[in-house]
Amino acid sequence: MTDWQTLGSLWDWTSAIWLVAGGVVAAYLILCRGALGARAWFLAVGVAILVFAYVSPIGVLADGYLFSAHMVQHLLILLVVPMCVLLSVPRSKAEAWFGRISGSQVARWSVVGWLSGLGVMWFWHIPSLCSASTANASLGVLRDAMFLSAGLAFWWAIYAPLERHRLAAPKAVVYLFSACFGCTLLGIYITFTAVGVCPVFADPVGRIAVLTALHDVGLSPSADQHLGGLLMWVPPCTLYVGAIVSILCRWYSTGGEHSPHRRGGAVLHSTEMKNNAE
Amino acid sequence: MSADALDEIAASDRARRASAHSLLAWVSTVDHKRIGVLYILTATLFLVVGGVEALLMRVQLAVPNNTFLGPELFNQMFSMHGTTMVFLVGMPVLVGFANYFVPLMIGARDVAFPRLNAMSYWLLPCGGFLLYYSFLSGSAPNAGWFSYAPLSTKPYNLMQGVDYWLIGLICLGVGSVAAAINIFVTVLSCRVSGMSLQRLPLFVWMSWMTSILTILALPALNAALAMLLIDRCLGAAFFEPARGGSAVLWQHFFWVFGHPEVYILILPAFGMISEVIPVFSRKPIYGYSFVAASSAVIVLLSYGVWGHHMFAVGLGVTANIFFAVGSLLIAIPTGLKIFNWTATLWGGSIRMTTAMMFAVAFLLMFVVGGLTGVMFAAVPIDWQLTDSYFVVAHFHYVLIGGTVFGLFAATFYWFPKMTGRMLDERLGKLQFWLWLAGFNCTFMVQHFLGLMGMPRRVYTYGDSPGWAALNAIATAGAVLMAAGTLVLVWNIVRSLRSGGRAGDNPWGGFTLEWATTSPPPEENFEAIPQVKSRRPVWDLDHPEVADWKTSKTPADTGWRPDKARASVWAFVASEAVFFVLLLAAYVVFNTRHTDGPNAANSLDVVRTGVFTGLLLLSSITFWRAERCLSAANQRGFLRWLGVTIVLGVAFIAGQVIEYYGLVSDGVVISRNLFASTFFTVTGFHGIHVTAGLIVLCVLFVLGRKKELNAERSGVLSAVGIYWHFVDVVWIGVFSIIYLGYLQ
Repeated sequence: MTDWQTLGSLWDWTSAIWLVAGGVVAAYLILCRGALGARAWFLAVGVAILVFAYVSPIGVLADGYLFSAHMVQHLLILLVVPMCVLLSVPRSKAEAWFGRISGSQVARWSVVGWLSGLGVMWFWHIPSLCSASTANASLGVLRDAMFLSAGLAFWWAIYAPLERHRLAAPKAVVYLFSACFGCTLLGIYITFTAVGVCPVFADPVGRIAVLTALHDVGLSPSADQHLGGLLMWVPPCTLYVGAIVSILCRWYSTGGEHSPHRRGGAVLHSTEMKNNAE
Repeated sequence: MSADALDEIAASDRARRASAHSLLAWVSTVDHKRIGVLYILTATLFLVVGGVEALLMRVQLAVPNNTFLGPELFNQMFSMHGTTMVFLVGMPVLVGFANYFVPLMIGARDVAFPRLNAMSYWLLPCGGFLLYYSFLSGSAPNAGWFSYAPLSTKPYNLMQGVDYWLIGLICLGVGSVAAAINIFVTVLSCRVSGMSLQRLPLFVWMSWMTSILTILALPALNAALAMLLIDRCLGAAFFEPARGGSAVLWQHFFWVFGHPEVYILILPAFGMISEVIPVFSRKPIYGYSFVAASSAVIVLLSYGVWGHHMFAVGLGVTANIFFAVGSLLIAIPTGLKIFNWTATLWGGSIRMTTAMMFAVAFLLMFVVGGLTGVMFAAVPIDWQLTDSYFVVAHFHYVLIGGTVFGLFAATFYWFPKMTGRMLDERLGKLQFWLWLAGFNCTFMVQHFLGLMGMPRRVYTYGDSPGWAALNAIATAGAVLMAAGTLVLVWNIVRSLRSGGRAGDNPWGGFTLEWATTSPPPEENFEAIPQVKSRRPVWDLDHPEVADWKTSKTPADTGWRPDKARASVWAFVASEAVFFVLLLAAYVVFNTRHTDGPNAANSLDVVRTGVFTGLLLLSSITFWRAERCLSAANQRGFLRWLGVTIVLGVAFIAGQVIEYYGLVSDGVVISRNLFASTFFTVTGFHGIHVTAGLIVLCVLFVLGRKKELNAERSGVLSAVGIYWHFVDVVWIGVFSIIYLGYLQ
């Protein structure tokens, strides 16, 4: 087989993800009818990435063959797809759906978002769980569903459909920076540890031709894990830094400190301000 | 009023002034301006010492095959020169300027915690003394400023120099973190009304970013220092490969600190330049938000690029590629700022004062250092040039061309504010040219020497073609820089005596420090102008073209977080990094099964699980105590706090029992790497719990005296953050060590 033929054979056109994607698009069209606008493009991109993550060679290789591909798939469904979904919600609909949730509630729940975003990454990389979820299809579905929902919870604090549900700029920067720190730690661990983080990838059950080719160019199981760890570490942090830059830009242009703090902080009232000035 | 009464007033005024300038007044001061001056003076003293060390090295290297300094003394000289310049000159002088000017520029009366500020300062001479006392012990540190293992471990370094280096640096590290927390909270909580975070003067913003870097980077060094000290004094082997340790781990830990350290040294200089260039161009800075936001990005990225210091170690191709890309990325926010400063100059009404000349030289010289830095991000270039004089040239262009020139610019810019006297411009320009010429003579040629293959850290060299001449030029340049420094010292002495009077705002400065007298009174301001833009003093002086009329900036929402809580959060973040590194060391050394004691055969998980339960329970009881105090239920508060203390003591007792059992079985810290890592991690955690218990006991006593009541519940909630943190750390420790997660 030529390289092109090998690559062609790695596409899984019959993946069940088409059904999920179709369902998501149908639900979006029904729920957002009358309010469709440019934001629909975010959904289109999100769904395309979702499909790509399972149908393309990434999805096929992630299924027990290459740890690094598995990591790319994780990042796409944990970080990119949920972000696109949140950004795709039309503002008018967002007001109707989420308008009753107060900003302060959301700020408090941001801790949960942060913990779930980081937690799923750490949880599913316990070696036994990582291998089991790759080998067992239903556990794999559970894992991916958890990734998607944790991704939504994580990004809510940053890209909630309603501005007032987003964290104020300084807090959002801390939120993303500490998240970057969290995945950096996991990435460093995966990169430098002597332990096989996902042992199933060290010895694939049915070896496919492309693996031999990849092995020949130096992608041994340990190099594969090495690459997986670095992928866990650098791309998410780059994404977070990008988000931080966008938040800071907004902050400088509009003044992102939405509202005075409530707990643990003091708000200078006009009289106090005057006194201070004097 | 009678003549006698006038005499009496004059006499008492003189006495007051004399006492204000007495030695005791300076030693016992908690005024941020005086502490700032003390920092700067101490740093200047060490600059002279470190400079003499550099000169001695340059004399040794002036001619080939020289024997002026032997190899051992040469090793000590470069180790002490590097350590001195980074920890006793660079960091303190920048902290000194931040101490003096951050409160003034944000319209504050003082820093957030003046007494903590004094403690931070006094740790500096203490650390410096410890470091230099090593000379009297027979040998100064000789393993380089980064004390690479295994050279710095006991088998290769029997003298006490490295021990003094370790203890001195821990001392300085604690002081630096404390100072950084202080600046961090000051900026967050002590801003005058109107001063939103988006209106901070750029020097303040950069000092703030630096403080965040220090808070999060220094603990990495402290963890490494603690481990090396345990190696050397208690017989552990973290960094001794012969006994299973890892020398590369030292490099990882050191550079996790070391790379952010570069930004700790350069960001404040960026801030200084960002004040000087606009004022002497008589324009606002071009792209304020870009300069500020890109510095925040630098802070984030700086933690992810340490690997580029280790390309020659053999991290593997993939890791090298990622670190190379990261290092190239970080050059973008740094490099683009050069355009901001240049664009600020563009079309400005430029005044070429000494300060401005240093600022312009900074732009040119820093670009050279930056570009060679980008070269080092390319792995093959690094392999070729690492450990050669090219590296020495590169980082001196960053640290002298960048930091030192920025500092000279700031000195000439702010000296009038600090003393009320102008520095002499003629002498200033003489100093500028001496430094510019001397610096380029010394370090430009080192690029060529490095390319020719001259290795650094070797006490002499053979008479290879061209080397002698280039080294002679480098030595001559060092003499010029020394002469330039003498001119500066003379300029300062002369100006203090007879310099022209400065007035409040001699340069037409824009920011709040120019709204008060020179030098400022003890309380800093009699009246603070209204802050409605980034240039309040400009607005005051030019109401018709005030900034706020033409360009809007985000208004102040009045948010000022509680100082105690903010400081504890910062402290906890710093400690978290410390524990993460200790735990990382545990994971590194315990992933493979080894003979002898290990977690599986030596630890009683169930028993420790019970004590863990007690510790976690103490978080709940503490929370109950907090609730009671804020509800003014003093008895309930004392009861729950008492229970918390008992639970904490029970946990410590459990740890003592566990230690006793282990030690009885011969499992001591020097036994093997499991024992070393176990005792180090749990021992440091135990120290933290004990410290927390002491604080809780103090609160308990205060509560009994009714001095801690609902109105002061903020203090309790600040302590609570620490107490909960200690519990969270233990969850990590228990999962990793006792339950074997990640292994």
